[in-house]
Amino acid sequence: MTKAMSKHTSTQPVSVRPVLSLHVAASLGLLVTVLAVGCGPTPAASFRTNMVMAAKQRLTTDQERQVATIVEAMFGTPDEPVALPETGLDEAKLLLAAGPVRSDIVGRKNGLYREHCVHCHGITGDGLGPTAAFLNPYPRDYRPGVFKFKSTERADKPTHADLKRILHNGIVGTSMPSFALLGDAQVDALVEYVKYLSMRGETEIKLMQAYFELDDDAQGKLPETREFLVDEVLAGVAEKWKSAADAAIPVPEMPADIDLAASIAKGKELFHGDKANCVKCHGVTALGDGQANDYDDWNKAIVDFGREIAGSREQAAKTSTAEMSPDELAEHKATLAWLEKSRQVLDGDSLRPRTIPPRNLRQAVYRGGRRPLDLYYRIHAGIHGAPMPAAKGTIPPEEIWHIVNYIRSLPYEFDGELGADRSMVASGR
Amino acid sequence: MSIRSIHWPHAVACLLVAVTAVLLCFGALVTTFDAAMAVPDWPATYGHNMFLFPLSEWLHGPWDLFLEHGHRLLGAAAGMVALVLAAATFLQERRRIVRWLVVAAVALVIVQGLLGGARVLLDDRTIAKVHACTGPLFFAVAVAIATLTASGSKPSRRSDGEPAVRAGDANVLPAASACLVAASYIQLVAGAQLRHLDASLDPQTFRQIVVVHLVGAAVVAVLSAVSAAAAWRRPGPAQRGWATVVFLLIACQVLLGGAAWVANWGVPAVAQGTMLDAIAPTGPVVARSLQGSVVVTLHVVLGMAILAASVVLAIRAGAAPFALEAAKPQRAGAVA
Repeated sequence: MTKAMSKHTSTQPVSVRPVLSLHVAASLGLLVTVLAVGCGPTPAASFRTNMVMAAKQRLTTDQERQVATIVEAMFGTPDEPVALPETGLDEAKLLLAAGPVRSDIVGRKNGLYREHCVHCHGITGDGLGPTAAFLNPYPRDYRPGVFKFKSTERADKPTHADLKRILHNGIVGTSMPSFALLGDAQVDALVEYVKYLSMRGETEIKLMQAYFELDDDAQGKLPETREFLVDEVLAGVAEKWKSAADAAIPVPEMPADIDLAASIAKGKELFHGDKANCVKCHGVTALGDGQANDYDDWNKAIVDFGREIAGSREQAAKTSTAEMSPDELAEHKATLAWLEKSRQVLDGDSLRPRTIPPRNLRQAVYRGGRRPLDLYYRIHAGIHGAPMPAAKGTIPPEEIWHIVNYIRSLPYEFDGELGADRSMVASGR
Repeated sequence: MSIRSIHWPHAVACLLVAVTAVLLCFGALVTTFDAAMAVPDWPATYGHNMFLFPLSEWLHGPWDLFLEHGHRLLGAAAGMVALVLAAATFLQERRRIVRWLVVAAVALVIVQGLLGGARVLLDDRTIAKVHACTGPLFFAVAVAIATLTASGSKPSRRSDGEPAVRAGDANVLPAASACLVAASYIQLVAGAQLRHLDASLDPQTFRQIVVVHLVGAAVVAVLSAVSAAAAWRRPGPAQRGWATVVFLLIACQVLLGGAAWVANWGVPAVAQGTMLDAIAPTGPVVARSLQGSVVVTLHVVLGMAILAASVVLAIRAGAAPFALEAAKPQRAGAVA
């Protein structure tokens, strides 16, 4: 191997020194070309402020700016992320996933998030990437730190392995692709970056909510002390992620000598019964034709805020300002300005809310995974952020296995049995 | 055939079309695999003179390095062939339109190379979009030169011995085919905006670009149908072949467009519950899969093929400004 070849196969960044004259000529040509086509360079990527939350909390522009400054100091920028030790995040992995797509060393590609995820999830991880409006369900907004498919209890964070499994398998029935063809280190880096975006988003939300608890002495500004920002806010967010590894749901083994037919029959009874009450949403036929007008938490937040704004606007329109004192008038005008800003925020920073239909269980399409264990987790803990409730505390673990067995039998049930259970439900109530 | 009897401008133009076609395929693959920054320097490749980069490193190195470096080498090759074409044209061709097209080709290939360099040195996606728009333009010019310098290239309105075209139909094919060239190119420009997505683009703007691309597809489809109908209404078989080829290519392109979307992002929300939902794969999309990458890249390459075929059709149909020039090649010696 020549000296030149060994230079770029090493693990050190390559020193790039093109011939000077070529470089100068090329640069001049570039300048002329860029000016000729009339376009400047693309602006550096930046995180977007969570404007919906800012509007909900009625933050002033100065307060929005303070939050943005604090969050940038704690988490850096999309091109230069920062991982404080308190987060427990691996900065080397973050650097592999962050920034623009480029290789500085042969065979090592940085900017994995922007290559694979940003089109749907957006730079900020707010689920507002360019393609988002065309996808159903919408891409996940990481900022609330809520994830659906995991091996932990409903309110807990997913483990690293949970997120890795989602990336590896994709989510069938949605636009979330499988990244099974990526290397293990690359998937690891992406998972780390998703956790980073989530922690960043949660911290931002907590800071915005903290204004509500400020006393008068604070003069509307958050204390910029390490005790408050890192030890209180950030540590609280990070701790939940760190403890996720130890929060796996204990799953009892399915009895090896289980009578499958009897288990399915028992599961069917539970499915239709009052205790599990699966039919409420999944329908008597299990076609997902029960109650179908509910929203997931992300959409529900937008719907509720939209209703609040609409109601307040209606009320403000009816309010007479004729007999208001100057103070009342100023407050009224401030409310109108907030309502208008909120309306603009909802138009520009959110997507049209969509209901979440219950799953059709006869299609054998299980978004959270098709293993019996995955179905057990879904039934035991429910689906965080979705209307699917947890059976924990209501149904004993061994009975959850009966429901799992029944659900797994549904795609193979004879067509003629569809709807045959209506009478059973009717007579049972 | 002696070497003196070869019409070199046409021969070299055909070579340029062939090299450019492969170059564009590599370019499309570079975008599909987001490999544009696989080599961080330019015009050198990892510190080497581009032409002296070790062959084994290129052929046996990472896939994205293979694509990007190959794209650069092919770009350089296209530039050199364009210069040879310029020399051959100014020696053997007298038609002003051909000479101007060759000048345009040389200018475009230089600008395109510089844009490629700018995209790398500035790491700028806006320039990548412009680069993606200039490539097909250069290809169209190369195809136009090859068509005009071909001995059989005859605008139909100037052909002798063919039955007369009905007055009402005379201008339909030239006009429709000229519009088809413009519409096909605009489609490629809109497609480039979708392929080279700005990470900061908001969903509303993306939706507008998609709508433009879909409306453009409908316009191109209608124009190709009108062109094919006009060609088949003409008495002679002159342009029927090319008009039919364009129409069939566009039919394939519409199907590939839908497949490219599904391969990237699954079934779109508006098509869920429709037939597309029923025929789409039931498993999750696999990022960077061979099938998905081939479908998406083919969609781009076929778009360029449609542009090229439209250019040939327009020239052969006598669309302005090509109809203004004499059809058969005029050699410098013969005219002088």
